[in-house]
Amino acid sequence: MKDYNIKIVDNKKIANKIFMMEFEVFGEFSVKVGQFVNISLPEGKHLLRRPFCVANFDKEKNTITIIYQVVGEGTEILSKLEKGTELKALVGLGNGFDLTKYKKVMIIAGGMGVAVFPSIFKSYPNIEAYTFFGFNSKEQVIMEDYMRENSKEMYIATADGSYGYKGFVTDIAKAEIDRINPDVIVACGPEPMFKAVKKIFATDYNMPILISMERRMGCGIGACLVCNCKVKVDGKDEYLRACKDGPVFEAREVDLDE
Amino acid sequence: MSNLKVNFLGKTFSNPVLTASGTFGFGREFNEFYDIGVLGGVCTKGLTIKKRLGNKSPRIAETSSGIINSVGLQNPGVEAFIKNDLDWLKSTGTCVVANIAGSTLEDYIAITERLDSTSVDMLEVNISCPNVKEGGMAFGVEPKNVENVTRAIREHTSKPVIMKLSPNVANIVDNAKAVEFGGGDAVSLINTLGGMAVNWKTRRPILNNVFGGLSGECVKPVALKMVWQVHNGCSLPIIGIGGITKYTDVLEFMLCGASLVEVGTANFTDPYASYNIVKDLEKFVAENDVDINDYVGKLIVD
Repeated sequence: MKDYNIKIVDNKKIANKIFMMEFEVFGEFSVKVGQFVNISLPEGKHLLRRPFCVANFDKEKNTITIIYQVVGEGTEILSKLEKGTELKALVGLGNGFDLTKYKKVMIIAGGMGVAVFPSIFKSYPNIEAYTFFGFNSKEQVIMEDYMRENSKEMYIATADGSYGYKGFVTDIAKAEIDRINPDVIVACGPEPMFKAVKKIFATDYNMPILISMERRMGCGIGACLVCNCKVKVDGKDEYLRACKDGPVFEAREVDLDE
Repeated sequence: MSNLKVNFLGKTFSNPVLTASGTFGFGREFNEFYDIGVLGGVCTKGLTIKKRLGNKSPRIAETSSGIINSVGLQNPGVEAFIKNDLDWLKSTGTCVVANIAGSTLEDYIAITERLDSTSVDMLEVNISCPNVKEGGMAFGVEPKNVENVTRAIREHTSKPVIMKLSPNVANIVDNAKAVEFGGGDAVSLINTLGGMAVNWKTRRPILNNVFGGLSGECVKPVALKMVWQVHNGCSLPIIGIGGITKYTDVLEFMLCGASLVEVGTANFTDPYASYNIVKDLEKFVAENDVDINDYVGKLIVD
């Protein structure tokens, strides 16, 4: 493991309070979809790094892209950083999605959870993706073009009906799943969406349902034990670390009521 | 002649830098970044007789120059540590300080006896976990209780016994003296300060446990004061803990009376923090041709 020096090459607003940052990584790195980076803030009163999923990466330019919403002081500071700013980052943290065995992949994501999936095509160029993205309303819709270009099929739902289908993304996915017959479901989004995914698909279907959990994190490398997720291991409840054992878990094993 | 070695309770530490319990696991995660054998010592994640799952999430909140945690002593239990981690940790060459916690006197005695026959170098006793109702806090507040638990542990081990003191007490010097009366060999201080964080938008506490333990740079002034007070009020050797982020912090703690220090929260900010502090201290003693031990308790107060 390495702590990389990084340099911001782009940091722009792509929707209301949502930013996309591309940074150059100094040194060879390896990442895959579902893994995350832990980025330092400029020196100051913030002691913790900020974890972000790898939205995309470019091995030729040696860059990684993250997409983040301004939700607190840390992301506020990040959103104001200019091109050329140098920071530190731990890269390629967490287990990520292992999709080596699958061809037809159903992607279900809601809100900022969609930021996980653009990198899926770099990590697994041979998959056939059926993408279902859900947002609250039209102004939050992001990553549509890139996903549509690379997916076999793409569906967008908004809760208020201002764009695409009106309703929850899980309901659209439910209507299409039998026809698509995917080998695996991958999902990221708010916990109510995970609950819906689990409720709708976990018992009626047999394919793996892999979800990427979000937790407040400390070290990001598995030492501090603050990002606990309640997950069944050999039938017994255990607290596993989102940062090291996860963030990707089989939905059927995760206790989403905690 | 320049020297960074510290003799502490009969053991030679290659340098005064240890990592604080709960911030370093059993060392494996950080050993992926650097050889943790360069550290003076590693204080393990707090161990209990039986495995503990700990508190519900969220367990961490950030505050100005600090963090608040409420992990609640999640650990695999002492047997799992002995079976899976101890030999490896010892093989790195660092000193292994087993941090132990319990909810009853019997728990403390049982875990002490279990570790007495192992290769751990020392015991650090957590009598002040703020995050677990039964996390030993009952033993860590009243001097009489501190003395009793110290004595009970002392009677069941020949290993050096370090009692880790809580700052959330009436008078920390009285508690340090109680350790001395109870037969303890040293004190480490401070454990985290009680704290909480609030999300005004949701009107809820950020931590599921409501309260947690505050650590990081913001607690350093409190820790320095308490180390200096204990140094002046009690003759036991001291391990200083609280917001240590850079090598000059180590010197400050040593001047106030600490023989060794523990680095905690800084390990989260920078996985190389403890390593860098060791390397900077090596450079400091070499360039200035000093013995680090000459700093201990040498604060000049007119």
